Order: sequence, then C-alpha cells, then structure tokens
Amino acid sequence: MTRTDVVIRLAACALVGLFGGVLAQHLTPNAGGNPLLGAAAATIFCAAFGRRRFDIGGALLWGTAYAFVVWLAVLGVTIGVHRGVAASALDSMRPAFPQLVADVVTLGIPTGLTFGIAGTLRSGVPGAPISIARALVGGGIAGIGGGWAFGKWMERIHYFPLIAGLVHSSSVTIGVTLHFAIAVTIGGTFGLLFQREIRGIGSSMSYGATYGALWWFVGPLTILPALTHHPIDWSASHASTIFGSLIGHVVYGLIVGVIYAVVDRAWRRLFYESDPLHRELVEGRFRTLSSLYWGSLGSIAGGIVFSAVMLSTGAFPRVAALVGGTSLAVGFGVHMIISALIGATYGIMFQYEAPNLSASLAWGLVYGAIWWFLGPLTLFPILLGGPFIWTNAVAGTQLPSLTGHLLYGAATALAFLALERRHAAWLAQNPRLATRALRRRRSLGTAAPAVWLFFVGLVVTLPVLLS
Amino acid sequence: MIAPTIAAACDSEPSDVQGQPSPTSTEPAVQEKPAATVSSLEAAAAGATLGIGLWVAVTIIVVPLAFGTAPLWSAAGMRAAFPALIGWIFIGCFFGLALRAFGSSIRATLASLKGAPKVQPDPVRIVILGGGFAGTATAKCLERIYAYDSSVAITLVSDTNALLFTPMLAEVAGSSLEPSHINSPTRTSLHRTAFVRARVTGVDLKRRIVEAGSNELSYDHLVLALGSVSQHLGLENVARYSLDFRTLFDATRIRNHVIEMFERAERVETRRERRRLLTFVIAGGGFAGVELAGAVNDFARGIVVDYPGLGEDEVAVVLVHPRDRILPELSASLAHYALERMSARGVTFRLDRRVEDATPTSVRLDDGETIETATFLWTAGSAPNPLLRRLGLPCDGRGAAIVEKTLAVQNHANVWAVGDCAAITDSRSGVRCPPTAQFAVREAATLASNIRAAIDGATPAEFHFQSLGALCVVGHQIACAELKLPFTTEAVRFSGFLAWLLWRGIYLSKLPGSERKLRVLIDWSIELFFPPDIVQTIDLRP
Repeated sequence: MTRTDVVIRLAACALVGLFGGVLAQHLTPNAGGNPLLGAAAATIFCAAFGRRRFDIGGALLWGTAYAFVVWLAVLGVTIGVHRGVAASALDSMRPAFPQLVADVVTLGIPTGLTFGIAGTLRSGVPGAPISIARALVGGGIAGIGGGWAFGKWMERIHYFPLIAGLVHSSSVTIGVTLHFAIAVTIGGTFGLLFQREIRGIGSSMSYGATYGALWWFVGPLTILPALTHHPIDWSASHASTIFGSLIGHVVYGLIVGVIYAVVDRAWRRLFYESDPLHRELVEGRFRTLSSLYWGSLGSIAGGIVFSAVMLSTGAFPRVAALVGGTSLAVGFGVHMIISALIGATYGIMFQYEAPNLSASLAWGLVYGAIWWFLGPLTLFPILLGGPFIWTNAVAGTQLPSLTGHLLYGAATALAFLALERRHAAWLAQNPRLATRALRRRRSLGTAAPAVWLFFVGLVVTLPVLLS
Repeated sequence: MIAPTIAAACDSEPSDVQGQPSPTSTEPAVQEKPAATVSSLEAAAAGATLGIGLWVAVTIIVVPLAFGTAPLWSAAGMRAAFPALIGWIFIGCFFGLALRAFGSSIRATLASLKGAPKVQPDPVRIVILGGGFAGTATAKCLERIYAYDSSVAITLVSDTNALLFTPMLAEVAGSSLEPSHINSPTRTSLHRTAFVRARVTGVDLKRRIVEAGSNELSYDHLVLALGSVSQHLGLENVARYSLDFRTLFDATRIRNHVIEMFERAERVETRRERRRLLTFVIAGGGFAGVELAGAVNDFARGIVVDYPGLGEDEVAVVLVHPRDRILPELSASLAHYALERMSARGVTFRLDRRVEDATPTSVRLDDGETIETATFLWTAGSAPNPLLRRLGLPCDGRGAAIVEKTLAVQNHANVWAVGDCAAITDSRSGVRCPPTAQFAVREAATLASNIRAAIDGATPAEFHFQSLGALCVVGHQIACAELKLPFTTEAVRFSGFLAWLLWRGIYLSKLPGSERKLRVLIDWSIELFFPPDIVQTIDLRP
C-alpha cells in the first residue's frame, strides 16, 4: 500500500467520522456526539492500522470493536468519577448506553466499512479472491435457517406486522416475506464479508453472533424506527424493552454462522478440494475423533467449575427435570453429560482456532457466552416443553448462569488446549501433516480479536441492559 | 493507548483464512512462521476476555469467600460487582500486553536458568522387512506406541507399495471387484514410518545393515515379516505352466486369462478343443483354492451367455486336492456342505489326488488321469521367503525362522520375526500358529510391544492368541463360517446366505481405509444389478 493510499484512506475515515459525529449529534443530542471528536476518533482508528489491509468484513468488525473499546474507556472514566457509590454505579451507567449505540452506529460501523472499502478499492485485499457465488448461496441458505429460528420468536410476540410497517402494511404475510428477505440479505452479506475470515464452524458461529448483534444496533434500534417514522430511541430503557430482539439477533447470527460454515465447507469440498491440484495430506478421522475426545474430556473441568455456580443457585433440580428427575445427583449427572456434549462440539468447532493460551481463553469465553444465549435462554425452556421467553426479566434471572457459562467455556478451552498440545508432538513426526495443520490454524492479522472484544463489550452491556 | 496496540497487532500478513493454499503459501514459508506467535492486539483482546474471567473468579467468588460471605453470583450480587468488571477488563488488557512484551524475555530467562538444552540422542532405528499384514501391522502398532516420541525411527521396506487385502483376492479373479480397490497404499496408511519400496537382497546381521536394492539401511531392531512364496513341490512343469494365485497381478491375470479362453473358444470349431479351453483346473482345496474355484466357476458360467457359440455344458471347473476332504481348516460338516454346494453349482472335485505333471495343454494327476486344459491355477503350496535361509537364521523344515515365544529370533539379538515367515508356537497351547492374516496382526501387536520392552529394558511378553474363527465363500451368496462367539466355548458354525453376509460384513470392516471400504461396497452393489465385466485389461494373445 503506497503512502498516497494510506493518506486517502485516512482522509476518507476522518470525513466519515466527521459525518458520524454530526449524525450522532442530530439523532441523540444528549449522547455527547461531536463532529470533531468523531473525526478525531476515526483518524486515530485509521492511523493505528497504518498500511495494513483488511477486507471489508474484517475492517467492519475492527471498527465495531473499536467503538466498544472507546465506550468502555469512557465508562471506565465514569466509574472512576463515581467510585464510592458502587452500589448505584450500574444505574448511573445506564445513561451512557446511548453513547455506546452512537459509537457503534455512527463511528465504528461507518469507519470500519470506509477503512475496508477504501483499502480494497485502492490496493485490493490480501489472500484468495472471494467466491461471490459461494458467499451468496451459502449465506442465503444460512439466512433462511437463521430467519426461521428468529421468526419463531417474532411470531409469538406478533412482531411481523411491525416489520410489514416498513412497506406501510400490517399484513403478517408481508411481514413474514419481508423478514425472510431481510434474513437472506443479511445472510448473503455475511458470506461476502466474512468468507475469508472463517475457518471452521466455531469461528463462523462467533462471527455470526457478532454480526447478528451488530444488526441489532443497526436494525431495531436505528433503521426500523427511522423507516416507520418513529423517533429513534437509543436509551437503555428502550433497549431493555427490545432485549428479546437482541437475543434473537444473536441466535439468528450464530445459526447463520453455523449453516454458512457447513455449506461453505461442503462447497469447498465439492468444487475446490476435489481438484487434484489442491489435494493435501489429511489426518483423517484420527484428528476428528481426537478433537471430540479432548473436547469432552476438557469439559469435565468446565463442568465441575460450572457445577459450583449451579449448586449455589439451586439450578440442579431444574436440569434434572430434563429427564423427569428432581434430585441433585440426577441434575449433576445430566449437567455433566450436557457439558461433555458441548465440550465435544467445542473440540470440533475450534480445533484450528486456538493454538495458544490467549486465543483459547478468548474463544472459550466467547463459546461460553454463546451457550448462555443458546442454553438457558433458548434450548432449555424448549427441552422442558415450554416456550422460550426472550425477555429482559427472564434474561435477568439467568445472569448468574452467565457467570457459570463463562467459567465453563474458559476452563473447557484451556483443558482442551492442554490435551491438544500433545498432538503437536504426533504431528511433528510427519512434516507434511504438521505443515497442513499449521496452515489451517488461524494466523495473525484476522479479525478474531475484534470478535473477542465485541463479546467483552456485550458481556459488559448485558448487566447495563438487564439492571 | 489503543492506536499503538492496533498497529503493533498487525505485524504479519494474514495468510489464507479458508484453509485454501494461497498462491504464495508454500510449505517452507509456512514453517518459518511460528504458530504460537501472539500479536499485540490479540494479546490485548485476549487479556480483556481474561479480565472477565478474573472478575468472575476474584470479585464474584474469591473475595466474598475470603471475607466469609457467599459468592456474588446472584443477579443482584453481580450487578453490585459490575463496576469492578470494567476495571478487570482494563487490567486484563494491560496484563496481556505486558505478557506479550516481556514474555519472550521471561521465557529466555527461564530457559537460561534450566541450563543448556539436552542433546537429543540418535533415534533407535527399527527396520521392518515386508509390507504384508504382519509388516504393516507392526509398523502401525509401533506408531501407536511411539505416537509422541521421536526417539524411535521406523522404516518399512517392501517390494510393493500397497497392502493387499488377500481375503478378497478371489473376488478380483472372479471380476467382482476392481483390483486396486483391495489394495491400500502403504505410504498413506502409515503416518510417521519411512517407507522404502525395494526388494531386500540381503541382511548383514553382524554389521546390522539391510541391503535393499541400492539402499543400505542400518538398524538397531530388525523385524522380519517377509511372508511366503509359492512352492511347486519341485515340479518344474507345474511351476512353468501354472498360474499362481498370490498377488494382485496374479488375480488380474487369471481374470483376463479366463476371458481370453472364452474369446478363443468361440472361434474354435471342434467341441473337444472348446472343452479344453473352457476347462479350468485348480490345484489345492484350502481356503485360497476353494474361494478361487468358486469365483472362477461363477465368473465363467456367468459370462458364457455373452458368447453365443458356447454352451454352459462346455465349461468345467475342476478342483484337485490331495486329501479326502476340502477345507481342512474348517470342521468336516462345513467342508462337506461346501463340497455339496460347489458341486451343485458345477465344480467337479478330484479328492485324494495330486498333480503330478503339467503341459501347456493338460494336467496329469497321480492316478494317471489327464485333464485337458489350457488353464491350470496353483494354490497347493507355499513356503516361507527363501531369503531367511540365506541369512543363516535358524529355520524349521519349511524354511520359517524359529522364534522364541516373545517372537525374537533364536540366538540373534534384536532380530524379530512375525507372520508367515516365522515358526511361531502359541505360548499357552504350544500349538503352531497358522500363517493367516488374523494371527499375523496379533503377532505384530505383541512384537511391537516387545520391541518397546527391549528398548526400555522391560520384560517382553509371550505371544498367545486364540483364533476367532474362519470364513470361506464357496459361491454366489454362499459361504461357510466357523466363529468363536462371546459366551460360547465351541466355535459356532454358519453356512449359506447368513455366513455369506457375515463374510462380507466382517471382511469389509477389516479392509483398511474408509475410502477402500466405500469403493468395495459400490463394486458389490454394482454386481447386484449388472452382469460381470468381460473387458480385457491385459492382452494375453499369444
């Protein structure tokens, strides 16, 4: 990338930051939006990356993570100012929530996109070119799957007429059609934006959940009221009322991620890896079985740590109810079996994602957080034969469970890493396999840390929204 | 604060992220990049996530417990402890960055405290001669034992680069299976064993060197798994005019030869000559001979409809066996059943007869009978690889290396023998182990663990294995089986369609490699709906 390219990208980002600041000031005058601050923040973001190039999806995630970091920094200062009143600090932070939305919508997303687009237009992107057909087909199918799951919740709370309001209608049919059209479009853009970033199901799911949550800020909090001629309300209290939609977006995103990864994998197998020119030595089922084994074995550590939280919160009888029991022992047994299954999936999903301690810890926490959305908020009520209720109140009662899930994810991931490390010695016996494994691993320079930061921000945001 | 972090984070180009090799991604280039390198931003972001973990562990759990109160993992407690979360995130972030900045220095200091790294001794070299069931299984077992240990180097020398799954060889001769589908490439089935495709010409047991073609391989432990070769009992004409049935080439040649006989027979005017061309003589009534006779009989009678000038009554398959019953490995009732069913399908038997001589146009038996034939298939004799005698190893009458109960060759330190080329007796029953794949694989497992015991200075184990049974296909969807089942003291006998299903199921599961299994399964499925293939793949015209 030449110096001119860097300067042009810097100028473009500064300009977008400036407009973002104007927009934030216009939309939420009390949120502290300022054009000059916006331009300065965007310039810092752009200058920090120097000559680095990202494709648009990666840059978008970095931009969003940057917005969260800026907000957290401000929040840290706020807490410092309010120290000594810790008990009420959470409530005092709720007014800072509109600033987060403003940072994400008017600073992080546009700056990230501009950074990525300007870089791509000026000097292309590193790596293999994107297969547009693969992205759109995979993303479209994934969008349908995610949209179907999200639609179940929307149907229950009669949300479709509200969606139909986008085209000045109140018909459920039009609402459903519009919902799936949006779901497929977002799925397609997911494929286009993140095709290069995604390695396995684990990262795809995490990217998907991040992308879904991103759309919560953009969609129901911003675009939907704007298009339906309602005032844009970025307050924490309004966000709390549509908290179910946030869960829906996250679940939609992670389903999109999972389906996209599966379709993408099948596509590559059928049309790329089947080409003899691209053939590589494979480890075979040994690796797959080993990953399943290490994952389920690692989950013992996570499951036991989680058990302490469940014991103290009296959750075991509810877990035992999954198999018709009520006792602590049955609850513990069921919990450990579920832990082993989820641990095994961690092994398969993240086997090439986390080669070191820091990445393992981060992916483990992300995976734990994802299962908080999936488990107690979604699947658990369904398995008990009832409907899933994505409300602020229900999620608030499950906040302690989030602690357990985070601990579970971290412990499982670290135990998995310890078990997996022995495999490196086995791989080292065959240089070709070792090289292939190295190539499949996530390398430096991807947007994975941005995903981690986004989840850190999300974990911080949850207590603010649920307080 | 964030700006330099992000800048430092991206100190390397992202490689292909989809697992697809980018045009510039070559193996050496990838190897140059250490896998565990952590960028600054990755360290900061991971540190931030660590902050969450620390918040949960310290603020929510440890601190309250330290002060004698309950952990704060209720919703209200977590909300109360929320402000500390922000602090922990930033602490984690700084910790990650600090670790990244000083991690290498810390590691270097720790390494210097430990002293100079130990010099790795030369690996123990284990050389396996032979790539059949015994040799390949030994290599696999050693790979399992030394999975994470690079102190042992394993080398396998074989004159073929694939493991032939001999139980299915008759199906290749009978055109049921494609030849390559029952062969598993040795190179891909072994993970860390160096493979040398060469014929072993000699072994210097004193200098511990194997001569394999132009290669000389030094060893610390030598495994002899050289298998066996056809033996024609000193009958020169038999050796000259018969077709062996041991290798994939043999099976392919037999199949093509049968087709060639039909092609020639159709152009022949005289009935006698047609009968001679369409008479197939098989010597030997063991498993190999019976399965081959059944396969050739089915194949020949199945393709006769494609030759309008020939009749089924002109086809003859004759099995010559020196004992009074076929299949001595099975019980008498099953052998009788096999003989009856094969006879019903058109195979004729000459029991208590030996082949005495052969010409290009006939086979003469010891009772004076001469069978006019252009096809003489030999399965009646095999002997251990003659190389063993040339090495000066102690051998039994057949030429098999005499081994201890631990499979170590007598009076030769660090030389082991396994499979068909070894005279092995069961350590408990004292019975001589048969030269079958079933035993070879078990012997290999014992041998591998004994080599490890020898290297570690431990006590080696004695070989013991009780046969699990035997299965033999005698014709289309007909087989005989004698299997040891759980909770039974005597072997259970099966025959007919059920035995045939057992045969296919068991051997398909034993066939190495899921890809090969799938290919064979497809071949078998095709065979159900389409006639036998009569395409000649080898030109056998005189």
